[in-house]
Amino acid sequence: MFVHIFRYRLRCLLRDKETFFWTLLFPLLLAVFFHLAFSNLSKAEVFKPINIAVVDDANYQNHHSFKRALEEVSQGDDRLFNLATASRGRCDQLLDNNSIDGYILVENIENINAEKPIRLVVKRSGFNQNIIKSFIDSYLQTESAVKTIIQVNPTKQQQLLNSLDERKQYLTEVSASRAEPDNILNYFYTLIAMACFYGSFLGMREITDIQADISALAARVNTAPVHKLKAFLSSMSASLLIHLTEMLLLLIFLRFVLQVDFGSRTGLVLLTTIIGSLAGVSFGAFISALVKKSEGVKIAVLLGVIMTGCFLAGMMYQNMKYIVSQKAPLLSYLNPVNLLTDAFYCLYYYDSLSRYALNMGILCIFTIFFCLATYSIIRRRRYASL
Amino acid sequence: MPVFRLCLKILKKQLPIMLVYLIVFLVISLIMSSFLAKEQQQQDRLFTQAKSNIAFICEENTPLVNGFKQELSRVANFVELPDETEALQDALYFRTVTYILRVPEGFTERFMQGENVQLEKTAVPDSISSTYLDLFIEQYFNTARLYVQQMENISQESLVQYLRSDLAVGASVELKTIGEQPLNQNFANYFFNFLAFSLLSVLILGIGTLLLVFYDPDLMRRNACAPLSSSSVNLQFILAILVFTVLAWSIMVAFCLLFNYKNSLNLNTLYFVTNSLVFAVCGTGISFLIGNLVKSHNAIPAVNNVVTLGLCFISGVFVPMELIADSVLRIASFTPTYWFVKANNQIAKLTQFDFANLEPIFTSMLIQLGFALAFFAAALVANKKRRFE
Repeated sequence: MFVHIFRYRLRCLLRDKETFFWTLLFPLLLAVFFHLAFSNLSKAEVFKPINIAVVDDANYQNHHSFKRALEEVSQGDDRLFNLATASRGRCDQLLDNNSIDGYILVENIENINAEKPIRLVVKRSGFNQNIIKSFIDSYLQTESAVKTIIQVNPTKQQQLLNSLDERKQYLTEVSASRAEPDNILNYFYTLIAMACFYGSFLGMREITDIQADISALAARVNTAPVHKLKAFLSSMSASLLIHLTEMLLLLIFLRFVLQVDFGSRTGLVLLTTIIGSLAGVSFGAFISALVKKSEGVKIAVLLGVIMTGCFLAGMMYQNMKYIVSQKAPLLSYLNPVNLLTDAFYCLYYYDSLSRYALNMGILCIFTIFFCLATYSIIRRRRYASL
Repeated sequence: MPVFRLCLKILKKQLPIMLVYLIVFLVISLIMSSFLAKEQQQQDRLFTQAKSNIAFICEENTPLVNGFKQELSRVANFVELPDETEALQDALYFRTVTYILRVPEGFTERFMQGENVQLEKTAVPDSISSTYLDLFIEQYFNTARLYVQQMENISQESLVQYLRSDLAVGASVELKTIGEQPLNQNFANYFFNFLAFSLLSVLILGIGTLLLVFYDPDLMRRNACAPLSSSSVNLQFILAILVFTVLAWSIMVAFCLLFNYKNSLNLNTLYFVTNSLVFAVCGTGISFLIGNLVKSHNAIPAVNNVVTLGLCFISGVFVPMELIADSVLRIASFTPTYWFVKANNQIAKLTQFDFANLEPIFTSMLIQLGFALAFFAAALVANKKRRFE
């Protein structure tokens, strides 16, 4: 009997185009949109060599040490500047049409003790402009330090020049974790969480088709000599199978077509998706059993809860997730969408699995609660009339 | 006007679901517009000061480190974070800080002895702000090294003192003025951009349903028997659609003006409103076309979501246009939302209202009107086909 109901239920569900659209095609399309819109997002903060110019006059040509320093940082792959030399007028022109972020003017070098021997001309202030300034500053500051030292300790001149040449590195990069903080990934993780919870449409249908006071089909099913729980479980398994397949397709699409990075724990990513799918379908069944109104209202409640959850998990504005976890940490553990999103985030970004385990633990408790509550609502229903 | 009344009745039945859309969109638009506008402002301020948010974790307390921290505060905002791996990782991921600097214990002592010691940094890889901070920190300790190497037994206090006077030296910066600064129109800009999403959704839902009811074959045949000339029927129908469009549009615009009344009394707002009206016409065209193509009621929300989300994602409604890849924008330029958003972004920057500055905005509006015409024409073709089926 189980196999019989399961098989027919499967065929029945496979013909429901609308549910198919919302549970499979819609998340896929949304993923494509995310990919189109966000693919460039993280490139905005990457450092690129800054275009600058220096006014090419006698002062600059004669200021050998500055010239050498400037040329040094404008060479190689990890250079700071793309340096151009031009006349003052041409420099102004370049600055006006935004070809350069600023230009450098070496003032009178005969008067090297003048207050400000090197000048920077910019059109607005920003990080790039400050990096140029910072470079000139560091040149002038080293010069000032040298002067101070020679004044105090005139004998050390040669040694000083030697130690000037050997610039040392005082910073070592310690990476925060084994993964880069690529902050567009969270959008895709919320998307998977959303798709998992869109499985609630399937769960909702299962209840609609088993509760005799909701649909005629359910009334007919209830008259059959099959235990209600058995009928429910077998048709529910069909829904779960369909949703799991859909989720797997979504994962494959994200990973291999859109190249979304999930970290290296593939097994756990799959496990998370399976539990997410279970949670989604059981959530739909729970809401559907709880809200005894028309289908429109049920869908509205489901979508309302899921979309609010997605919003708080950072689907529309990703810092929302961080704001919630800072300001209302309890809320971030009560929001099942966020639990699922955060589980994927932990798998990708954290080395330890403790927060992942916490997330999954709470999600499992939610799922068990949804299942038990659904069971206690739909069991042993008798109707005086339908 | 029986047809007009019928239309209003149908729309009224759709009212609850449209209201849900309207309210959800308004709430989200308001939250996002104000968040983004605030964030933008904060970022602008940080950029002008060129300060990055950093977490400074210090395992020792010495005059050298304190002096260094004081100098560092010229280029950095210190954000207090607990020294826990996951808290630091989270902060870096969500860009609360872009740089984490750790001074290990014993750093000062070994540095003063001339040893090669290292500070530990964790940053968003290859980012602009991290490059800038790197420069600053390396410069500080390289200059300090000169003193330590050349002046034997220099005390930490006098080292910090020397460094402070050296670091006070800097290039003089000349800022070439670029004219008037635009008013802060971030909020209105974001809100009107989001309007593309909400307005389009409501229009498609309303007009799509209307058309679907009217072109139900049985109903259409019944209505054709009515003692009303077809031109009167069509006129009333068009009137109903117009009233619906204007109503939906004015409610949304009114909300924007209500929440942003302080910044609304200027010419920019006038152009924002005009632009959104032009877009509303275009949205009616799109809805008209969809209503003529869709065959079932259940398909309307599906088509609605695909069309509105698709259009909005690729043309810079949710993500600022500057951050979208050029190839995507090129595709987007074949959609009216792209021109709507583009015009909004240009309007937000307007300071002078002469023809040279306004011309690109008018061009964008004309292109939207062109799109509207194209959609109406396509809808009429689809309509004709449907009637002969």
